[in-house]
Amino acid sequence: MKDPYETLGVAKTATADEIRSAYRKLAKKLHPDLNPGDKSAEEKFKQVAGAYDLLSDEEKRRRFDAGEIDASGAERQHERYYRDYAQDPGGRRYQYQSAGSGFDDFASQDDFLAELLRRRQEQARRAPGADRSYELEIDFLDAVNGATKRIMLPDGGSLDVTIPAGIEEGQILRLRGKGAPSRGEGPAGDALVAITIRPHRFFKREGDDILLELPVTIQEAVLGGKVKVPTTTGAVMATVPKGSNTGTTLRLKGKGVAKKGGGAGDELVRLKVMVPAEPDAALENFLSGWTPGSNYDPRRDMQS
Amino acid sequence: MIITKSEFLLRAHLDQQTLEVWIQEEWLSPDQGDAEPVFSEADLARAGLIRDLQGDLGVNREGVGVILNLVDQIHSLRWALANRIAPPQDE
Repeated sequence: MKDPYETLGVAKTATADEIRSAYRKLAKKLHPDLNPGDKSAEEKFKQVAGAYDLLSDEEKRRRFDAGEIDASGAERQHERYYRDYAQDPGGRRYQYQSAGSGFDDFASQDDFLAELLRRRQEQARRAPGADRSYELEIDFLDAVNGATKRIMLPDGGSLDVTIPAGIEEGQILRLRGKGAPSRGEGPAGDALVAITIRPHRFFKREGDDILLELPVTIQEAVLGGKVKVPTTTGAVMATVPKGSNTGTTLRLKGKGVAKKGGGAGDELVRLKVMVPAEPDAALENFLSGWTPGSNYDPRRDMQS
Repeated sequence: MIITKSEFLLRAHLDQQTLEVWIQEEWLSPDQGDAEPVFSEADLARAGLIRDLQGDLGVNREGVGVILNLVDQIHSLRWALANRIAPPQDE
């Protein structure tokens, strides 16, 4: 890098004020945003700004003058210049006014330019509003069966959200036209609603299937029989086969979650044999007189 | 890409009050989000320009508005010129 005094065009003896005013003079000429079409401006500006950073800091200037540090690495890093974003949608917005009426004088003589400007203004006018994000927590059963929920908005309004049956955790619903209004005459943006699902007391979900653990009595397990089984759409009667055990799983076809392409998953009912929580004299009595068959040993597999 | 207000303040090295003044002056006009304004990368770069104008270049409050207005006109002109030379495809 060049000598910073030379870069700023000041004498080695220059005062802080002289340095600042020299820098300002150059910066006004060289700032990239004041020279949007000049690619070399950025390079020159970096040099000048770097020189100023060095010389405007008394301590750094002293060390530079003493030869302790050199001017290398003193180029100022600038993250971004507006000129690089001015033609982005975010920057174009600021030109809304000037694009419309700023060129009336040329536009009247140049049909092509007039058309361009008209289109541009039209675009700006029709630009949609911004999207808005919301979060909505729903009950497990509403997620499975579908529902309509209302979100209260901070501005006092409300938003009705139709939850499709079978929606999944984290899914985002896009409500067209429910976002911020357009700045011009364009459509409103969209509302993006992120869905979270509260867990259920006894249902769980695995893909399109509903999992349920169903307690049954010893009697129901041994003798089999009809039991009432909750499903996400209400209870149904199901048959526990004779000789069921904890872990025996019944499959209720079509009682799961609606699939996207039609049809539905199943409900998988895992039986859990329960002994009465309170001591039961009759059961004790009966079991003490019961002798299992000689080859009955539930722990047979564990013997070595 | 949307930048939230707190992220914007952080990345633009701005305090809340200054930002409010800039918005009031219409130097920045962010989109109105749900509860607070939301910003774009262009807004962030524009904030950098305003900071340079007020800081390094010593431009006063009135001057900033004038400069931004002219800068916006220049970008409109540059856009029109660029499209006059190479017409845009139909959108």
